[in-house]
Amino acid sequence: MDFTFTEKEEKFRGELRGWLEVNLPKGWLQGERKLPEDNEHYSKFLRDWQRTLYEGGWAAISWPKEYGGRDATLMEEIIYHQEMVRVQSPPLVNYIGIHMVAPTLMQMGTDAQKEEFIEKILTGEQVWSQGYSEPGAGSDLTALQTTAVKKDGKWVINGQKVWTSFAHLADRCFLLTKTSQSEKKHEGITVFLLDMDQEGVETRPIVQMDGHQEFNEVYLTDAIGTDEDIVGEEGKGWAVLIALMLHERSGIAAQVFTLEQQFEQVIEMAKTVRVNGCLLIDDPFVEDGLADLYARINGAKLNYYRNITHTLKNGRPGPESSLDKLLVSELTKELFDFAMSIQGHPGVLTNDDSTFDGEMQSQYLASFGATIGGGTSEVQRNTIGERILGLPKDLGR
Amino acid sequence: MDFALSEEQELFRTAIRKYMNDLDRTEIARSVISGKLDVVANATSGLAEMGVTAIPISEEVDGLGLGALDLVPVFEETGRVLLPGLQLETLALAVPLLESFGTTAQKAARLPKVAAGESSISIAWYEKDGSLFPNSFSCIAAKTECGYALTGTKTLVPVIGNPDTYITGAQTAEGKSLFLVKASDIASSRMLSVLDETQQLAEITLKQTPGELLGEPGRATDMLKEGLLHFNAALCSSMVGGMDELVKMTAEYAKIRVQFNQPIGRFQAIKHGIVNMKLDLETARSLSYYAAWAVETNAEDKSAAVHSARSFISKAFIKAAADSIQIHGGIGFTEELDVHLYLKRARYYDSYLGSVRDSRRATARSLGWHSTPAKRDAVPVS
Repeated sequence: MDFTFTEKEEKFRGELRGWLEVNLPKGWLQGERKLPEDNEHYSKFLRDWQRTLYEGGWAAISWPKEYGGRDATLMEEIIYHQEMVRVQSPPLVNYIGIHMVAPTLMQMGTDAQKEEFIEKILTGEQVWSQGYSEPGAGSDLTALQTTAVKKDGKWVINGQKVWTSFAHLADRCFLLTKTSQSEKKHEGITVFLLDMDQEGVETRPIVQMDGHQEFNEVYLTDAIGTDEDIVGEEGKGWAVLIALMLHERSGIAAQVFTLEQQFEQVIEMAKTVRVNGCLLIDDPFVEDGLADLYARINGAKLNYYRNITHTLKNGRPGPESSLDKLLVSELTKELFDFAMSIQGHPGVLTNDDSTFDGEMQSQYLASFGATIGGGTSEVQRNTIGERILGLPKDLGR
Repeated sequence: MDFALSEEQELFRTAIRKYMNDLDRTEIARSVISGKLDVVANATSGLAEMGVTAIPISEEVDGLGLGALDLVPVFEETGRVLLPGLQLETLALAVPLLESFGTTAQKAARLPKVAAGESSISIAWYEKDGSLFPNSFSCIAAKTECGYALTGTKTLVPVIGNPDTYITGAQTAEGKSLFLVKASDIASSRMLSVLDETQQLAEITLKQTPGELLGEPGRATDMLKEGLLHFNAALCSSMVGGMDELVKMTAEYAKIRVQFNQPIGRFQAIKHGIVNMKLDLETARSLSYYAAWAVETNAEDKSAAVHSARSFISKAFIKAAADSIQIHGGIGFTEELDVHLYLKRARYYDSYLGSVRDSRRATARSLGWHSTPAKRDAVPVS
């Protein structure tokens, strides 16, 4: 066992740190981290940040050098996430493009697709969204009903997508459609790289329970796609989807490190806030609860390290890596639930009126999304039960 | 980054597992319940032949000079079958205490015998009130011409497999002190009735019993705390072994037990329950590896690593066993199935030489979360 980083890895960390100190938005490291509220400025701010990352060579470090990446090792990727979390960097507006769409196109896209999209994804010129879920197809994605029908050499697309992250900012959508009806649920699915800037595409933002607007409904009414927009083969979109998911090599590194940081914030709160004249941390109930959370959050991080080790040794993650998302998202929810519960009645106050830091209240609300997005905890448990423990499959699947 | 056991350690695990299979797994624990105690000594000498008893002992005294991480596969595999005996107390508590605080003569007199599997050492620590860290001991050590004479009563003393030596605590002029006492010098002992019948506990009475001072007088608590870091890391491995077996056993049962025309493992209530056991198991394993690594390398966060592992795993082991009983249904409530043995063992370990609450408090202390005692507010007592 060895938890040290090599000299080369530490050098990499130093280089990134140095670059961040110079290039993060003004005042960011000093704590001025408020993002613009209206869409237009928000979008511009994040696109500018991605452009800055791109110019520094930090937008897509895991990409091959020939596409403008750094050919980063897995450990460098992990360090990258650690450092980005440490400075609480602005979100990567083109996360879907950089981490999912582009690597998939590199693997199975046509030359023309690579030529047209990859560089624009890297620079942030083109922001991507993912058109997966529909009103009737959530956890059961194969139930999707958006259709693409060929007519006069074009594909005419009709249907509705929902929970489409970043769609209101996006230029393109990685869209799942049905191009033929089949007995087998995973067949007849086709992936389009849809141009969002057309009459048949309408985007309506959804206001989340935490007040943010990160995802959308997308209405497709005779939207037009071309043969050139199809990824992989027509009707074989499920395989493309699986390939896309496998590109997440560093897994949930960012969430693991974020959870660790959030825990430290809660400790900070417990050391600062007094209830009944007593520092929270000196209350045995609080101490006990936080020590329990420390063990479990540290355990989740160590699980992640164990899975990384597996990838380093075997070239791919082991089956147990599928536990990481479930554990980390559930723990995030529990952490903020506990953080809220110890604040006493002043815990109902938020923003500038909150006892400690309004962030705690909004992060509490945001935490409810973690166990739903990207596969609900229930679906995760089904998958783990069936793939790892070999339990019989659900009748519906 | 390398967070895994080494290839050698994994190979050693395979060997230990094979030996446990040869011993018919939980049959040894069941033999103890039915009063056949010679199996314990057999298992100990079998393990000694494989080199297990020499692992943590330094080379000068006939050991292998290996570390806490090398004990991980051993205790996971012995824990998996609930092997009865004093392996934990001897190898993970008495040995580290002797290695750290014993004199050259004390080490030479005892450790080669332990390494050879000819001796096991137990801990006679608790007194009537069951405090782990009492303000003082009622057991008194009086100075004599050639050493000390101890008088008092110790309880909850593990005696399975006939230990020849006890490490005990007694009050001296300097405060609480550690002593080595020969089992043959004990005045009398009374066997106690234990919930986990694979354990044997006694109340022992010392009457002018000769005791050999271990370490500095008055420092019993500090020394025990140090020794317990080793002990708890090993105990965690043992509990992880038990949890691993529970997850396997329960998943297998859910695949073959048919109700409503389908294996019950198809129902999400059952499936998700077993997945939750698996989640706890993996967290427990990671925490136990890290605890052993922290002990072996004397890491800065050693205390937090060990105590957080212990607090999580003690609880998770009980929960895994309890959930396993429920998922097994009626058969889970019977004596016939092994699950209840795991539950009783988990319960036995729950507060053994430290409770979950103690470990959490120790975690918080070692991470320096609290305000300094001087500035600290009085906590309202309800």
